[in-house]
Amino acid sequence: MTISGNYFAGVDVGSLAAKSVILKDGEIFATGLVQSGVNSVESGLNALNLALETAGLKKEDLTYIVGTGYGRVSAPYANKAVTEITCHAKGTNYLHPTVRTIIDMGGQDCKAIRIDPDGAVVDFAMNDKCAAGTGRFLEVMAGVFKVKLEDLGSIALSATDTVPMSSTCTVFAESETISLVARGEKPENILNGIHHSIANRIAGLFSRVGIESDVFFSGGVAKNSGMKTAIEQALKVSIVKPEIDPQLIGALGAAVIARNFAKKEGLWV
Amino acid sequence: MSIQTLEIIRKRLEERPEELRQARKNGHKVVGWTGYNVPEEIVHALGFIPVRIALGGDDRLVEVGARYASSKTCVFIREIVGAFSENKDPYIQQTDILAFDATCLQNYRAAEVIEYFFKKDVVVLAVPRNFAEDDAKTYFVHEANEFTRLLEERAGRLLDNATLGESVALYNDIRKTLKSIYTFQAARDNVISWEEVYDLIQAGDLLDKKEYLSLLQQTLAELTELQHNPVIEADCDSRIFISGSLIPRGDRKLISIINLAGGRIVGDDLWSGILPHLDLDIKEISPAGVALGYLNRTPHAALPYLDLESDRRLKKLHELLSQSRAHGVIYHTLRYCDPFTFKAKETKNVLAKSGIPLLEIHTEYAGSDYEAMKTRVEAFIEMIRIKSELVEEEAA
Repeated sequence: MTISGNYFAGVDVGSLAAKSVILKDGEIFATGLVQSGVNSVESGLNALNLALETAGLKKEDLTYIVGTGYGRVSAPYANKAVTEITCHAKGTNYLHPTVRTIIDMGGQDCKAIRIDPDGAVVDFAMNDKCAAGTGRFLEVMAGVFKVKLEDLGSIALSATDTVPMSSTCTVFAESETISLVARGEKPENILNGIHHSIANRIAGLFSRVGIESDVFFSGGVAKNSGMKTAIEQALKVSIVKPEIDPQLIGALGAAVIARNFAKKEGLWV
Repeated sequence: MSIQTLEIIRKRLEERPEELRQARKNGHKVVGWTGYNVPEEIVHALGFIPVRIALGGDDRLVEVGARYASSKTCVFIREIVGAFSENKDPYIQQTDILAFDATCLQNYRAAEVIEYFFKKDVVVLAVPRNFAEDDAKTYFVHEANEFTRLLEERAGRLLDNATLGESVALYNDIRKTLKSIYTFQAARDNVISWEEVYDLIQAGDLLDKKEYLSLLQQTLAELTELQHNPVIEADCDSRIFISGSLIPRGDRKLISIINLAGGRIVGDDLWSGILPHLDLDIKEISPAGVALGYLNRTPHAALPYLDLESDRRLKKLHELLSQSRAHGVIYHTLRYCDPFTFKAKETKNVLAKSGIPLLEIHTEYAGSDYEAMKTRVEAFIEMIRIKSELVEEEAA
């Protein structure tokens, strides 16, 4: 097979998933998404190899690779490392140029990002070091109710009531949830309360950076429809519908930045 | 290019605890002080050896301190209490008397706890809340006189104006020399880094004052020879200014993260850094004159001041940012350090009007938030760099 064109890859190694996007010139050519393991180098390579395999390419065919996510610090396959904050900004801007505010909810953190029309970060805030308001929090809650993580959102949306959740600490929320179940509250109403509790916590992040339309929701948790609705209600905004899997936005941004670096370094004209 | 005097200072710091031990054997008394408004000149003029009690970065000591002080007390104060509990710090071991001020009420609480649990002799200087009012000045003068009287009792002698004048002159020379040295670190093609100057400032908390002045003058001479005319101008680096809660000796987490992320620190307004040495004008040689000189400096964040437009702290921050040509501010807040944490948002909003971005880093002495802090700092530096590149492109 003859390879033509310039290929740029972004690899985003998060705490729960590793993602990769390959751009051919300016278009998304292939993607890869795998679960993260203990070894972040291996996780990143697995995601990259999956995208390469889908594209029918070899690593040598790539002009430039940018690594991002918490695994960016150990990404020997990448030419450069860039933070996920900058990458989510670029990736969102690439797909949705009118977006000025991003909510990124990943496995272990949550970020509020404000961007300018060029996709450059203007301001950002991150949650504290605890797992409240993150994918990991929802994973624990899915475990409590013995339901699939991907079903949490739709279950919450079927609620007839919202059971207030006083704790956003994962450990305390877990015991509070068990108490609520024992009290006879319906699981869907408790889950609805959990989603709203997280959304309210996210609203606190935006009090630091502000909100400007359009608003986009990226990261793995963005696939949760209940979370999307709860955030829309808490922030009183309408979230832009993603054109691709929102979990891939960081990797896409890394690929866009890879293309920019390649251009700057004269590797691509 | 290394500054030879800095090596001498490091060596002298290693020798200092033993030196203090010998001095105490010979009848001298060591006063361990902490706070923002403790008039060190008075302590010095009474023949005491002043040593600043300021240490951080040790999460284990914070936990020890939490056995005596509330776990909602800031980590800096809890570590100090923990250090007194263990009594292993070479400087704490050598203190005969403690002088704390009540600028930050947590500091005052530490004084109470240390006196109660560890039976230390503690002198506390009360500080007025509404420092800008005339009544507050009258009150502080009264408290400074009382503070002096308590120290005189412990010194077994009265403070005389001639000796106080000598101490004030010595401290003025130290401040003047420090300010000159500070200019060099922010300059383009600097021969001394901010980190080295920061260590140098903190060395003064511990060394003998006359020797310290001599070492500072030696450092300045070396710098002047190596870089005759320091020019401060914005270059392509990410020039970072550090503000917020104090960063005492032992705590270098944030500083090392900024360095690793490729940021260059060019200034600070920390009360463990240059700030206490700025704008201290002692107009009258007396305890009252010294006290008023201290009170008229840029106030500490713990003192309430609600009118943002005339807040001298923000004015000073703007002035220092302009001098250092910083691109952005990293605002460091320690867990439960409420004075600075509460001011983070308003400081950010005020600076935003001048186009200066601010990143708040809220942390403690545990290492568990290291990676999260690193991501924030790296992203902030990326943000500044992208902005600088765009400005450059537009200019071109």
